[in-house]
Amino acid sequence: MEPLSETQVIQNLRQTEDPSAQYYAAWWLGKMRSQHPDAIPLLLRALEALDATPIDPEQRGVALNAIRALGLLRDMRAEQPLLALLHSNDYTVREEVVRTLGAMGSCGAVEGIRALLASGLEGAGAEQPSSPLLNEPCEALLEALGDIGDGSSSNLAVIHPFTEHPRPLIRSAACRALLQLTGLDQWGMELKKLLNHPEPLVRRGALLDLGATGWLAAVPSIRTAAVEPSLKLVALREVAERNVDPNDVLDAMDGLL
Amino acid sequence: MTNTALDQALQTLERATSTPELVKATQALCALNDLEAAKPLVKVLGFNNPAVAAVATQGLIQLGRDTIPILLVSLDARNYGARAWVVKVIAALRDPRGLDLLEHALEADIAPSVRRSATRGLADLELSEDAAHDQLVRCFEGLLKAVRDDEWVVRYAAAYGLEQRLNSAAVSAHLAEQGRAALNQLASDAEGVRVVQLRALKALQRLNAG
Repeated sequence: MEPLSETQVIQNLRQTEDPSAQYYAAWWLGKMRSQHPDAIPLLLRALEALDATPIDPEQRGVALNAIRALGLLRDMRAEQPLLALLHSNDYTVREEVVRTLGAMGSCGAVEGIRALLASGLEGAGAEQPSSPLLNEPCEALLEALGDIGDGSSSNLAVIHPFTEHPRPLIRSAACRALLQLTGLDQWGMELKKLLNHPEPLVRRGALLDLGATGWLAAVPSIRTAAVEPSLKLVALREVAERNVDPNDVLDAMDGLL
Repeated sequence: MTNTALDQALQTLERATSTPELVKATQALCALNDLEAAKPLVKVLGFNNPAVAAVATQGLIQLGRDTIPILLVSLDARNYGARAWVVKVIAALRDPRGLDLLEHALEADIAPSVRRSATRGLADLELSEDAAHDQLVRCFEGLLKAVRDDEWVVRYAAAYGLEQRLNSAAVSAHLAEQGRAALNQLASDAEGVRVVQLRALKALQRLNAG
């Protein structure tokens, strides 16, 4: 099959007859970091489907892909429409919106994110009845606060209780955010402990969280963790790109190729 | 080494069902350090169980280059997971008899981790005395292909590999020029991934200093 041209992809997102072509087009624009002048306006138009009642399930899928693409394109024109969606009653929409706002480093999102977490372990962090989901997408919320980088005491206070959450991946996200915001080694040590967790999924999560903090002291533990080399390379890439002198990190990466 | 020990280990492996049992049985098979264990270890690579495959991979690497002919003939074209592990073993053993396989893996494999291992193999492969020039050219050509790969980690491995190969005195002026041009490209803003740029810059700095 011929690869699609950018013009064709834009056209596929613009048309409304074939939602699966729109779905793929929204994904493509993000993946390829499209700079096409119509990309952002069309992705934002796709979000409007979330205001309809009832929401068309196919258009919801297109909108979710559009939100993810906006996280990769990081265009601030998307900030206001995304902030409005923080209050969506759709858990997955909130989760993806928070991830995108975090990736954009949106300072405007801090207050809204804090509000979603404020009810703590008994509220936001409690499990929904008969569902594996928590009441709020806590992992995404905590990670976004860390990525946005506002270390105000009110942010730290709202994150702190989640370091005691019963789920290790939530604890990992909280420690990651606190390490990013305070630079205190104690949170890095907590993450290193999670690297030895018996569950592979937890080890992988903690590894990527350590990478995202750019904490140089993590390099030896990342190198030796019981996790696939591919994932270690992803985590070490993050560390390397966040440091002025990444020489030792590059050496560690060479050894894992 | 008595055959009874091997037979016993194989029987234990046969009976193992859970991951911990399989890991233990594979470890026992590796501990024999017996070339006869190579074939069953390759079979273990096809179980689609990463924990067990990692143990078998280490065991095969430990058996050394005598396993290369066995690896080359027992390669299961249909089992893509097993192929990935075999590429890793061949890259680690650095045996020139693996060159065809590494070239093919880099060209055709859909998994970035396999293309990454193959690139690493092309960087570090030892060259046979009688065909060193021809093999070096092929390694270079593979690395230059890896420079154009869609996945950053393969391009990163290419930067690493070009540095290794450009360090060798045997490189012709023509190849050296191509290799440097490729590193310059990876170090420039045409490369979208920062860590690949950083690695290529590091390679150029060391090559220029040396």
